[in-house]
Amino acid sequence: MAMRQTPLTCSGHTRPVVDLAFSGITPYGYFLISACKDGKPMLRQGDTGDWIGTFLGHKGAVWGATLNNEATKAATAAADFTAKVWDAVTGDEVLTLAHKHIVKSVNFTQDSSCLLTGGNDKIIRIYDLNKPEAEPQEITGHTSAIKKALWCKNDTQILSAADDKTVRLWDRNSTEVVKQLSFDMSVSSMEYIPDGEVLVITYGKTIAFYNALSLDMIKTVDAPASIHSASLHPDKEFFVAGGDDFKLYKFDYGTKEELESYKGHFGPVHCVRFSPDGELYASGSEDGTLRLWQTAVGKTYGLWKCVLPEELVSENSDTIYCTPAAPEIKA
Amino acid sequence: MSTLVTVLRLPRGPDPNGRGFDPNSPRFVALCPTTISASTETGTDSVEIGEEQRARSALRESFLRTLIAMTNKQVQFHMYERVKVEAKFGASDIDVLNFQVSELQTPIGVQKEALLRCQDVISYSFDL
Repeated sequence: MAMRQTPLTCSGHTRPVVDLAFSGITPYGYFLISACKDGKPMLRQGDTGDWIGTFLGHKGAVWGATLNNEATKAATAAADFTAKVWDAVTGDEVLTLAHKHIVKSVNFTQDSSCLLTGGNDKIIRIYDLNKPEAEPQEITGHTSAIKKALWCKNDTQILSAADDKTVRLWDRNSTEVVKQLSFDMSVSSMEYIPDGEVLVITYGKTIAFYNALSLDMIKTVDAPASIHSASLHPDKEFFVAGGDDFKLYKFDYGTKEELESYKGHFGPVHCVRFSPDGELYASGSEDGTLRLWQTAVGKTYGLWKCVLPEELVSENSDTIYCTPAAPEIKA
Repeated sequence: MSTLVTVLRLPRGPDPNGRGFDPNSPRFVALCPTTISASTETGTDSVEIGEEQRARSALRESFLRTLIAMTNKQVQFHMYERVKVEAKFGASDIDVLNFQVSELQTPIGVQKEALLRCQDVISYSFDL
């Protein structure tokens, strides 16, 4: 019997959720941080969506948020012209890095020693978190606001996407451009998968996959609607995407076939990411919520419970809820 | 005919009264050093750490007592951008992020009720 996807809704934000990121898998599970225009990024337990804490301090919309692998540090990028580094265990603000314009993107190196920032002043900055008072290394070249800047190739290179319709690969030491991709329209999102060196880029209705080292295109897939964000499953069997039509789409990566689509959000989907174990994906929307979706619908994981038909009518099932979603699954 | 996947419960939402990061959670207890970062130099012994803890507790207690003493008194706040305002202090929130004040005297008039953002305050003074 087919099971229908029951997304878990995480409420708490009061304005659109514009970015989200997972940590790596830690001895305490994995974690999720969400960036919101209400200026209050939140930390949640990754597999249940349970709220852990809110990072308080920004004075403007938070456009970007990230966690280090161990989920001990968080970084946020905001419209108050600062990037902040936080202790993700206590919730305390550890560092404020002043910028000259809105900051959009933050990213830690693997060892959490350096922070990459990018934003509307078109400059990529590298901060040494062991020497925060020192001037950051600056990388110039983009001619429009930077949307996303990510470390790649073991933190020796940097990938950046900007409103100048380019994606650029930079060498960290020489700060020179190694390679550049140009598009007809602005790139809406970028995801870097270190294992396999894959770059996922979205623009218009297209989800494009590139080799992150050579920037050679692997394949492109078109969705039914304008896509704001996409994420590739760790096993590289499927990818998910969401955008303007409020739906989440699941595609087969090998065949490019659209497998399923889910309704649930009440606004455009701004960001979507697979969890580090691939068992679920999280989406953030204009409607102010985050939703968690199962990769294998019906499997027991996190708060989802696989219930056999006999159990549904038993007398002991009073702790089991059925939350209605409004799913639309393609046969 | 498909059935909805069942869930054990819904994700827990934010606590309206605080910012979270429960100090009793297993992760906090395991990862947060019991000593303050200032005293983690090598060679610091437990006696010194104990003394520092005592000093910190005493300072924290007197700070909290000043907040109590300030209640309903006229307080002068020195803030950034050379702002000096005076108001009747009401209360602080649990994380000392906002002060609730009444009759806030500002250059553009008196605000009957207001919240002052603590991170904007440099210093404040009042008569006991």
